[in-house]
Amino acid sequence: MNKYDAIIIGGGHNGLVAAAYLAKAGKKVIVLERRHILGGAAATEEIYPGFKFTVFSYVVSLLRPEIVRDLNLPKHGLTILPLESTITPLPDGDYLYRDIDHHRTLRNIARFSERDAEAYEEYSRSMYFMAKAVKYILGIIPPDPTSLKPKDLLGLLEMSKHFLGIGEEQFFTLFKLMTMSSADFLEEWFETDPLIATMSASGIIGTFLGPRSPGTAYVLLHHYMGEIDGVFRAWGFAKGGTGAISNSIAGAAREFGAEIRTNAPVSNVIVKNGKATGVALENGDEFLADIIISSLDPKLTFLKLVEENDLPSDLVESIHKFKIRGSSGKVNLALDALPDLSCIPGPGPHLRGAISISPSVDYIERAYDDAKYGEISKQPYIDVIIPSMIDPDMAPPGKHVMSCFVQYAPYELREGTWEQRREELGDNVVNALSEFMPNIKDIILHRQVLSPWDVEQSIGLSQGNIFQGELSLFQLFFLRPASGYAKYNTPIRGYYQCGSGTHPGGGITGTPGRLAALKILKEIN
Amino acid sequence: MTKDYDVIIIGAGHNGLTTAALLAKQGLKILVLEQRNSLGGSAGTEEIFPGFKFNTGAVDAGLLQPEVIAELNLKKYGLEFILPPVLGYAPQVKGNSLTIWRDPRKTASDLAHISESDANKFPDYANLIEKLVSALRGITTLTPPNITQASLNSLLPWVKTALNIKRLGDKDMVELLRILPMTAVELLDEWFESDLLKGVLGAQGVSGSMQGPQSSGTAFMMLYQQMGIPGGGFKSCRFVRGGIGNLSAALSKAARLYGAEIQVDTHVEQILVKNFQASGVMLSTGEKIASKIVVSNTDAQRTLLEMLGPAKLEPREMRRVRNIKFRGSTAKLNLALQELPEFVGTQHDEQLSGHIIICPNLEYLERAYDDAKYGNFSDKPYLDIVIPSKTDNSLTPTGQHVMSVTMQFAPYNLRGRDWEKHSQTLEENIIDTIAEYAPGLKDIMLHSQMLTPLDLDREYSLTEGSIYHGQMGLDQLLFMRPIAGYGQYQTPIENLYLCGAGTHPGGGVTAAPGYNAAREILKNI
Repeated sequence: MNKYDAIIIGGGHNGLVAAAYLAKAGKKVIVLERRHILGGAAATEEIYPGFKFTVFSYVVSLLRPEIVRDLNLPKHGLTILPLESTITPLPDGDYLYRDIDHHRTLRNIARFSERDAEAYEEYSRSMYFMAKAVKYILGIIPPDPTSLKPKDLLGLLEMSKHFLGIGEEQFFTLFKLMTMSSADFLEEWFETDPLIATMSASGIIGTFLGPRSPGTAYVLLHHYMGEIDGVFRAWGFAKGGTGAISNSIAGAAREFGAEIRTNAPVSNVIVKNGKATGVALENGDEFLADIIISSLDPKLTFLKLVEENDLPSDLVESIHKFKIRGSSGKVNLALDALPDLSCIPGPGPHLRGAISISPSVDYIERAYDDAKYGEISKQPYIDVIIPSMIDPDMAPPGKHVMSCFVQYAPYELREGTWEQRREELGDNVVNALSEFMPNIKDIILHRQVLSPWDVEQSIGLSQGNIFQGELSLFQLFFLRPASGYAKYNTPIRGYYQCGSGTHPGGGITGTPGRLAALKILKEIN
Repeated sequence: MTKDYDVIIIGAGHNGLTTAALLAKQGLKILVLEQRNSLGGSAGTEEIFPGFKFNTGAVDAGLLQPEVIAELNLKKYGLEFILPPVLGYAPQVKGNSLTIWRDPRKTASDLAHISESDANKFPDYANLIEKLVSALRGITTLTPPNITQASLNSLLPWVKTALNIKRLGDKDMVELLRILPMTAVELLDEWFESDLLKGVLGAQGVSGSMQGPQSSGTAFMMLYQQMGIPGGGFKSCRFVRGGIGNLSAALSKAARLYGAEIQVDTHVEQILVKNFQASGVMLSTGEKIASKIVVSNTDAQRTLLEMLGPAKLEPREMRRVRNIKFRGSTAKLNLALQELPEFVGTQHDEQLSGHIIICPNLEYLERAYDDAKYGNFSDKPYLDIVIPSKTDNSLTPTGQHVMSVTMQFAPYNLRGRDWEKHSQTLEENIIDTIAEYAPGLKDIMLHSQMLTPLDLDREYSLTEGSIYHGQMGLDQLLFMRPIAGYGQYQTPIENLYLCGAGTHPGGGVTAAPGYNAAREILKNI
């Protein structure tokens, strides 16, 4: 009999985390994944024989250490390899290099500005404290300020106490981070344009905003909240790609007794008298459970999996208004050899880190301008890593894989369709790269271009938005994804959400999955 | 110098005069020092060309707070308002023009020619906005609490606002919280389909800011512009008979009657400090005047860095002052006209009685901002035109007219050009733009005066030409205005206060900063 305690729709990393926590608590759990592999946006696939790609998301930093501990992920194969440097090649043949060696980084920045080198230290300290202060919200279910329930009022009180207690200077910095643009915020500290540009790029990832758009400083902060082995803002690469993260979580879930099925596309949630009782697969099979959890984005969770009639009209309206504009694409390259940077020719440690195509704030801002008017960025911002340099198993010996995260690629093109214009995005990326890597065009063996439309088609993220909904101020905390439904609940009894479209948002954090599972366990026990 | 004053006020803008009058009313001995030879600062009326009186800065007194009018009995001193029946009119070269009436139902019936759906929604939109604004209106005359060390007393007045917001009901309260950080584009896209309507409404959200309608916080600015008299879904619109300078005249009359002395053509060179307390001012003539308290109507940067001197500030405070974002974005063109200009498609000249808005759609506005982002003035600018002589024949010789044009975007810092040489180019650009809609304009022009951001800076002491004494972005509001930690009209120097638009609630002819500053000063002595 297909009867479970809980069914999780979607085998992305958050769905798997929720499954693992529920199974660990002794619940009978099944995960239903539409695709043939697990992981959703955190998946590794061998697209071309011998070349393994972290197809969508590609780095990790935000994964919560408590999840790694609770689920004992290293035991299930999770190894994070350090990704220690960022190089920004510049059009004049120079470059800006920052890595884990603090003093070397300061010397490098000082080549551009002594003042910035000094400020960099203070800035790093300040952001360390900010991330520490804000990390608190990653662990709590957002209280609802519109509610008068004692629990919410208490939660609000606690939250204000926390934030007022972080100290005056930090409080004001936090306020600025919540409201400013990433470029403005950084310009209060620095004067070196490529430094500001490269750092501000963290503020635009996954948003449909430019570095000069207010609100991007928050996204910058979001990316600072990462922590690997207790080290803040360290970025890493999972051995075997991000798919290895999903697989390790799946391994933990299975060990706790969860059942995980791939090739099992859910068509809808079965709702009887306002209560979710099970799900139906596209092939007609039905699974029954008292608890159904969707890890899909809010559009799919509310507008596709259930009938609008089962929801209050306010909520339907809010979900329609929920902004989920896709703005990024991915170009995955299989390379015959290592790319050569004209600023530092030949192999070297700089190729084991990130290569950021972000020579100036204006460069990124102009890339955004194109997208604002429905165009693919002619000169896009690109965040490049070469996974095979970090983990040689990713490509055949001597060959390499290269992951290019690219912005902007607006989901809605003003002219033409993505099916027609997909390769244009690939061309723009390769052309932009060739400015700084003269040999790139000669060493490409295969090229996979994923537009936001392709991302939507392949892994189901509405409009290809990697965060399952933009991290705008009005889509955070108690408003994510909608007022009254920000605590992983839905108006349908027994139906829950646990995707990145819920608090605290996107990235490989595992937090929505964990918080949702903990809340459900508290409710049913 | 033997004459001692209780309070010296630097600058006779409308806020400085408000503070002067309110303090004089309480029996304090007041001296106001104005550098120009006329009163009102950027809320003045000047006869630039014989017989033609111009509002050289602000044109609209819709935001003037009723408390100030009542407490100083300004109507007795000659303040008389004109309420034009039309708030906004957007002529179109092709297609239907748009008229926004004081009565939203009338707007709706006109809108039916443009969009049936928008016509149906407009009254609801205007109602909702008015409802949200009415909950916020009280905050303009409150002092922002010092957030990190707030006393219960300082928070108490805010409880009323909180209750007003709470009283909106759950749905509207969430709507308010959701809208505040939104962009004008997002807000308007949720409501309307007509590009023209969205352009005209959205333009209110960027007025005075170096921000396009896709910048977060511009939806808040749309609300802010309506915080005066109820606005029919548009900005609060109300003219002053005889020109806005008559408001300043009424204020100065009240102030003098209560015993304040007002001295024009007097340039304050330095704020004097004794034992870390402000002790008076030194004029450019070298003359020193002592006072117990000094209040500056100009912005925090001019006050603290130029007149006080950075050496008197802690490095942290100095950095905050330096980091204030001014970012003037407007230029002003004043034209003396032989007759009333004819705009294409105008049915009756009542349509020319309010603001004539040239902003055919939001993309036009965004592109105008794009130019400024890279240091150019807008090729196709957003224009806000008023012809105050249309409703007030005291401003011009019979049959002739004055036209004031506020142009956006004009960045203070041009790239590769300078304002001294390119003022003329901008003027031609503006006139050509208007002439598209009013083809006969060039034939009826008698005189013109162009004020670039540089002119605004030099002539009206508006730093970087910012008409709001600092951009009204979300990061520079409330307790962050003018700088973090000093939102209570005080400065790091004891007995030195600020009372200009750079303080809460911000710019526009509200008189609220002056009103609030007076209250704080009285509280502290």
